[in-house]
Amino acid sequence: MIRQISVFVENEPGSMMRVTSALTEAHINIRAISTFDTPEFGIMRLVVDEPERAKESLTSKGFVTRIGDVIGVELEDKKGNLNQMLKILADGEINVNYIYSFVIREGKAPVMIFHTDDFKKAEQFLRDADVKLIEEKEL
Amino acid sequence: MAAVSLENWVERIRDPKIECMSRDEMADLQSRRLVDVVNRVYNNVEFYRKKMQDAGVEPGDIRSIEDIGKLPFTTKEDLRDNYPFGLLAIPMKDVARVQGTSGTTGKLTIAPYSQKDVEVWGECVARGLVMAGLTQEDIIHVCYGYGLFTGGMGLDYGARALGATAIPMSAGNTKRQMMCMEDLGATAFACTPSYAVYLAESLAEAGVVDRLKLKAGIHGAEPWTEEMRQKIESILHINCFDIYGLCEITGPGVAQDCIHKEGLHVHADYFYPEVINPTTYEACADGETGELVFTTLAKEAMPLIRYRTKDLTSINHSTCKCGRTLPRISKFTGRTDDMKVIRGVNVFPTQVETALLSMGGAISPHYMMIVDREDNLDVLTVMVEVDEKMFSDEIRKLDALRNKIAAVLKTALGVSVRVKLVEPKSIQRSEGKAIRVIDNRKL
Repeated sequence: MIRQISVFVENEPGSMMRVTSALTEAHINIRAISTFDTPEFGIMRLVVDEPERAKESLTSKGFVTRIGDVIGVELEDKKGNLNQMLKILADGEINVNYIYSFVIREGKAPVMIFHTDDFKKAEQFLRDADVKLIEEKEL
Repeated sequence: MAAVSLENWVERIRDPKIECMSRDEMADLQSRRLVDVVNRVYNNVEFYRKKMQDAGVEPGDIRSIEDIGKLPFTTKEDLRDNYPFGLLAIPMKDVARVQGTSGTTGKLTIAPYSQKDVEVWGECVARGLVMAGLTQEDIIHVCYGYGLFTGGMGLDYGARALGATAIPMSAGNTKRQMMCMEDLGATAFACTPSYAVYLAESLAEAGVVDRLKLKAGIHGAEPWTEEMRQKIESILHINCFDIYGLCEITGPGVAQDCIHKEGLHVHADYFYPEVINPTTYEACADGETGELVFTTLAKEAMPLIRYRTKDLTSINHSTCKCGRTLPRISKFTGRTDDMKVIRGVNVFPTQVETALLSMGGAISPHYMMIVDREDNLDVLTVMVEVDEKMFSDEIRKLDALRNKIAAVLKTALGVSVRVKLVEPKSIQRSEGKAIRVIDNRKL
């Protein structure tokens, strides 16, 4: 399991930059990022090297954040691989709430991050199908 | 120190002879003072002399407090027209000090005091401090602004009259406020309710609440709700009291509530309150809401006769559980100035505050109302800060929360409301009076 940090941001110029600049200041490395927007506000979801310290530095800058679990899966960069992983989950009737991918990792296979309502079952199905799950220390 | 519960409360009364006076005796005292003040303004202030002559009233027509209805009203416009010293009833050399408040129109509202006026002011605030359970043993941290604004000086004079210790912090610099509050051992603090919430939250965040000796908060200068009071009381474990005043009349200390929180006791031996229907000018019965009108019975420098405050309240002449007979005015729902008419419905910021704080403590009490006009239709947007408790990682949950807030506000206000969730601490914190409404309509 991997931890992600979610941040509430207003949908206005500069709001995401204020998040990344707080993280830069704290020397936090961003591994993956995705954003969800509505006309007025958005949620930024990030996987970082030090989630607790990231939360601390964002809280001190006045952001509201939450740390939650997600699953990281290593997928070789080959046609159909994402489809195959999703099929495993679909066959197991596991709902995927959202999915996003890692920024390029030097010399390593890409990682997909996803969120589900049933982490235990999802991990079990993926392991049974020999899909490589990534742990935080491997990032 | 913790809040004192009602059962363990020991009521202290600074001046029982006045504060618990029978209604007849009070009427006698008020009558004597009214006759005196009417004569003083008629003889010394051209504005009043002319106003009374125009209304066909002579000082001799005013023989008792019952006759007060014969006198014409004084308005904020009258003060502006006679700015700065046109209503002075004593020579300038006898003016001990001048306080003031910045009006919304730019010009100051000026309040000159004689030395005796300053003493009366301190005495009235001191009565309130005693009402709040304070004695000369107490250390009062005053974080109202010092300067022209009456808040800081008023509480300072009150502490002095009481013989308590005043810490004149003035407003601003929350970190330093927190440090001094702890280090100097304040047992009470005084500031606007909006700053009190901010300060309380900051103290809680810093984890110093348990090290404080606070037992009472004295808050006023802006309308606030019972829910807001509970919020401050529960964070700091203290009893909070609502102090009311306006600089034209004397500043804070015109009225304050006691531990029973059933209205604010008006120091009616100095400030005679009337509640009138603002359109018909007829007197409201006890319990009926109308505009508060004051006559300063003993003020020397700038007495005001039937001054229309634009504050809305109701009055109650019954004896309070605390034993005081001083009439009580209900906690303020707002000023006629703050009231916004949105699609024909009267809306006060305090209604928004009550509704937000009624949602089980889930919603932050920091909010801002914005009124716009789009396609000839009034649109009310309420900005609410998202805090850790409210924040969900999922858009649908945040959307659901926003819809729920909108529904609660619609029920409370009777108009539809757009709710905008904003980042924490993005709504400006006020160190004085909070700005709760921005009206962008060009009416």
